[in-house]
Amino acid sequence: MTSLLSAGLLSAGLLSAVPRVITVGAGVLDEALRAQAVPTTPVSWRPPLPGTAEALAAVLADPRRRAANELAVGRLTGARPYLVGLRRASEVLAAGTFLHAGPPITWERASGPMRGALIGAMLLEGLAADERAAGDALAAGAVALRPCHEHGAVGPMAGVVSPSMWLFEVRDEEHGGTAYCSLNEGLGKVLRYGAYGPEVLERLRWMDRVLGPALAAALERTGPIDLRALIAQALQMGDELHNRNRAATSLLLRELAPAVVEAAPGDAAAVLRFINGNDHFFLNVGMAAGKAATDAARDVPGSSLVVAMARNGTDFGVQVSGLGGRWFTGPAGVPDGLYLGSYGPADANPDIGDSTITETSGLGGFAMAAAPAIVRFVGGEVADAVRATRSMYEITLAEHPAYQIPGLGFRGTPVGIDVTLVARTGLLPVVNTGIAGRVAGTGQVGAGLVEPPVEAFTSALLALAEVSK
Amino acid sequence: MSLGQHGTSEGRREMSGLPQAVLVRRGAYHDSVTLMRVSRALSELPGVAAAMVAMATELNVSILREMGFTVPESDPGDLLIAVRAAGLDAAVEEAGRLLAASHRPSGEYAESAESGESGAQPPLTTRSAAARGPAGLVLVSTPGEYAFFEALDAVEAGLPVMIFSDGVTLAAERRLKELAEARGVLVMGPDCGTAVIGGAGLGFANVLTPGPVGVVAASGTGAQQVTCLLDWAGVGVSHVLGVGGRDLSAEVGGLSTRRALRLLDEDPATELIVLISKPPGAGAGSGAVAGAGSGAVAGAGSGAVAGGGAVAGGGAGAGGGAARSLAGEALSTPLVPALLGPGAPDLTQATEQVLRALGRPVPEWPCWPARRGPRAAPKRIRGLYAGGTLSAEAAAVAGQGEFTDFGDDAYTRGRAHPMIDPALRVEALARAGDRDVVLMDVVLGHGADLDPAAVLAPAVARTPATVVISLIGTEGDPQDLHRQAAAFHEAGAAVFTSNAQAARHARSLL
Amino acid sequence: MTVSTHARRTRVHVTGAASTAVRPVLESQRRPARVLAVFPAGVYLEVRTELEPSVIAVITGQATRLPNSVLLAGPLPHVTVGDDAAVGDRVIELGPLSLSVRRWWDPAPPLGRLDSARLARAAALLGAPPGAGPAGTGAPPGAGLAGNGAVALLAGSCAKGWLLGMVTAAEQLVGLGPGLTPSGDDVLAGLLVALRHLGLATGTEPAVRLADWLAATVTYDARTRTTPLSATLLHCAARGEASPEVIAVLRGAAGRQPLEPALRHLYRLGHTSGADLAQGIAIGVTSVLALSAAT
Repeated sequence: MTSLLSAGLLSAGLLSAVPRVITVGAGVLDEALRAQAVPTTPVSWRPPLPGTAEALAAVLADPRRRAANELAVGRLTGARPYLVGLRRASEVLAAGTFLHAGPPITWERASGPMRGALIGAMLLEGLAADERAAGDALAAGAVALRPCHEHGAVGPMAGVVSPSMWLFEVRDEEHGGTAYCSLNEGLGKVLRYGAYGPEVLERLRWMDRVLGPALAAALERTGPIDLRALIAQALQMGDELHNRNRAATSLLLRELAPAVVEAAPGDAAAVLRFINGNDHFFLNVGMAAGKAATDAARDVPGSSLVVAMARNGTDFGVQVSGLGGRWFTGPAGVPDGLYLGSYGPADANPDIGDSTITETSGLGGFAMAAAPAIVRFVGGEVADAVRATRSMYEITLAEHPAYQIPGLGFRGTPVGIDVTLVARTGLLPVVNTGIAGRVAGTGQVGAGLVEPPVEAFTSALLALAEVSK
Repeated sequence: MSLGQHGTSEGRREMSGLPQAVLVRRGAYHDSVTLMRVSRALSELPGVAAAMVAMATELNVSILREMGFTVPESDPGDLLIAVRAAGLDAAVEEAGRLLAASHRPSGEYAESAESGESGAQPPLTTRSAAARGPAGLVLVSTPGEYAFFEALDAVEAGLPVMIFSDGVTLAAERRLKELAEARGVLVMGPDCGTAVIGGAGLGFANVLTPGPVGVVAASGTGAQQVTCLLDWAGVGVSHVLGVGGRDLSAEVGGLSTRRALRLLDEDPATELIVLISKPPGAGAGSGAVAGAGSGAVAGAGSGAVAGGGAVAGGGAGAGGGAARSLAGEALSTPLVPALLGPGAPDLTQATEQVLRALGRPVPEWPCWPARRGPRAAPKRIRGLYAGGTLSAEAAAVAGQGEFTDFGDDAYTRGRAHPMIDPALRVEALARAGDRDVVLMDVVLGHGADLDPAAVLAPAVARTPATVVISLIGTEGDPQDLHRQAAAFHEAGAAVFTSNAQAARHARSLL
Repeated sequence: MTVSTHARRTRVHVTGAASTAVRPVLESQRRPARVLAVFPAGVYLEVRTELEPSVIAVITGQATRLPNSVLLAGPLPHVTVGDDAAVGDRVIELGPLSLSVRRWWDPAPPLGRLDSARLARAAALLGAPPGAGPAGTGAPPGAGLAGNGAVALLAGSCAKGWLLGMVTAAEQLVGLGPGLTPSGDDVLAGLLVALRHLGLATGTEPAVRLADWLAATVTYDARTRTTPLSATLLHCAARGEASPEVIAVLRGAAGRQPLEPALRHLYRLGHTSGADLAQGIAIGVTSVLALSAAT
């Protein structure tokens, strides 16, 4: 007899070591068991999000779901992303196209920082003489705007990618996918926050001219760099890989430094100083790694796994493995956190950027318990960080086999958001993020946590119900 | 099985000029029994004229409006705290305290679950709870429309599950049981009110001694009657495995019944199995399932016990499908069917068959005759029941009268189950006339009201009707069987531990 | 200073689960009892009664469910050795607690049918567990009486069904060894339970008869020969009642659950208790096999 009931429950029950009973629902029935000295694990149950019950029933009953989710999350956690090189965006992009963060957006609906970054890209590419001309051209549709995510890429904050920019190229050696992300410009007034002043453009040109070629040459010497291992190490050194990348950046710098010196002796000092001066330099590399992993989990019919969460400064969008490239959106919220200098909530733009790929792949807000220091940037106590990570196990399908949190006994990070679990628990993904200024050109004004819009997840669930078997 | 959704009945209309308030707690959820208790405790505070703590369902909002409260914008996922009291702030504060106290899992097991570490996260789903460490069983009692999600988690985690909730769709039940079949786990329910596993009572169950009789039951109160009588006879029970009222229907095909029978057959402590089903029509088409083996055919009425045989299909009624599905289920343990229906033995007779099969003497079933006869010549029987199967059994035995099952969905909407909340039956007793014989069950055990006589006995004493009570419980039950019997007897009722005898007695009074 | 007046304390009503072994004592008339020993997870009560078990273990949490125990659903009260208590009328009064039982478990659950061939496979593991002493002694690692002559006599006589030898050995073993449950008693308890359950399960009548004789021998004057707790546990064992760890090993031997993990669990009991009980079980298994082959 193989039944667990006969093997475990009946036999153990006979022996008085009555097994633990999971109770879900009426507290009075849990109490009755405890009065009998039967150990219980009460579920802190509440009804699912309003309007989702029917869809949940359909999706959960889909016979494909369990295996589909196992496959999808297995691919997500099994990905082995390597940093293999750098490429000019023009090699990847169709002519006359800019990429941007988040779900699709038009110039009309774009927020301040998104517009600022697009203007900056026009100026950088020499497609407009000044700010006004750039704005007019963009409004007239001179350039096609496409989401990074649809081109195997991700970009932080505005995430604008124009043809002359360099992109990190990350390959998933397990499943063969490739993902791209732009190079990080540093903090303060930078294009990704919508700044496009002369110093911003000057820095971008230097990156095009010096940084990109030097790194490309260095990577040819080092060969592919194992990002899975590097990220795993950085987590143990106090990074959560979204708002804190100090350890990962240091580790990457250590890998690259000798090769940079050999490959570009003349520029090495400037290149290394630039990387060293920016604690977030690794963010973009990590994002590409996350993109490579989540893309591996796409397009599994019946799977309710979230494969992308991204914001364009106006909308927060979600994509689900079983639903192909469809976006499900809701209004992007304003992050709640700490502001730089005299900035305050009134200066904040709604949530923006593809950097939520880190949360989608089990890092960032999901790994906050690994980064106690992060609470200094996003507000709150260390216990809040631990609580945030613990709560995410409630809505995820797996624990990451390689990304572990020392403070939780080396438990794997919660990974693989399941829209059915979001609807059942009402718990939304915890997202760590930087806060962009509302006005184009302002740059970063703070950092904090942001709550995704619930309708992005519920509408994805309803769509999944329509295609469920 | 439903504990009832919360609402309160006593909308006190007087607008006594006291301060009142309705607070909305967004997204705070508590189950109906908890809210009933908090509402009651609050209402009993000195200075409180009216109080109701309830989820903001359409029904509850309308009750609050009738009570004279102004309800702010809210949706069904919100919690409403409505109080009218002299010391309004203190009352509201108390409400908060009561709610907080009800939410904390207390006791060592709660602590050991994730020993009070900072950032401890209670499990929000059965899936999460199952992932936290060894568990042997899941007990689901959420509102029915959501029970499927939690039960599915259990089955997918390879855990047996008891679904106390009713209102689960037939499609969901089938899906669960098919999946459970593939994974080799037992699904008890939906609408499974009673189970006892190795002595541990789940749902509405009684305190029983371990012993040789295993029970597979499509009816919770039916199982309670049989096991309580066995307990009185000094015969213990190995396990009671509920299967839900619909399991034996043709649509579900007895998947859980078959698994439960196999489990008990393989259980070394079980020497004899009793299969209890609802009367035809009470559940979705349970029917005659006859035991047959080594030539001996146990017709439902014959009282024979099948030894070392098979459960064979047969008999009339809507249960043809179920019977077919049970055909060929070879058991090496003797089986006594207790299949209620016209011409079939009642639960007490079935229990007596079990005792005879075990070679045990059949005792007198305890009863406490009424202290006085009826005031006027009784004309008719009014059955006021909490247990559906008990009601049906009594109706069949009495052969006449008007029976109400207050445990039915229609009566538990807006209030807790009659085994917990006696209010409706108190009202019905008050309405009964002096020519009525009121026949009612009082079910003791885990989960039930801790002192049903406290409220019901005075109502029995007040009613002009002649009252006959069938008291279902064991001497080990927390309510104290003898004290309950004495209280009802004292109040003027005739008290029986056999529901069939109670019904026969009621009929004899006419 | 202690105030000797009868402080009127409000009793705290608590509930729990209990072994059916204590049911007769619990359901008879209320009798005085006294706290015999206090441990972090359990309190032993000695009840003034002729019934057995006369010592009741009130335990909590993860304490071993001895066959004479009552498991509290909440924390133990603070009591000290010598404190008064009372047992009976369905209630245990201990410190401020008034404890009643909401669940009963069977400390002697039947094993079901078992064929000797299967038992023979288990015997190999039980007789020579990993890390066992010199081959043939059957003493598990850590057994308190490894190499003891009386144990050898017990084993030899049981296997032959030699009553006199068995009784002689048993009389030497009752109360032999240090501690709350002396090793000699544990070996006998393991043997008693194994002979009875495995004898019944395999249909080996001589083994059950042997169990009856052994039970009569060890219970005859146990109360004067060993500690009160150990005497109670011998009375339980005489009726086939044991802790779940012991029953699990018997079930393992019967092929109803994996044997090795059950054995490992058993070894962890007490100082030497687990190993001593295992040694007794091993002797029982060997004897049942020998007696069943002889019939």
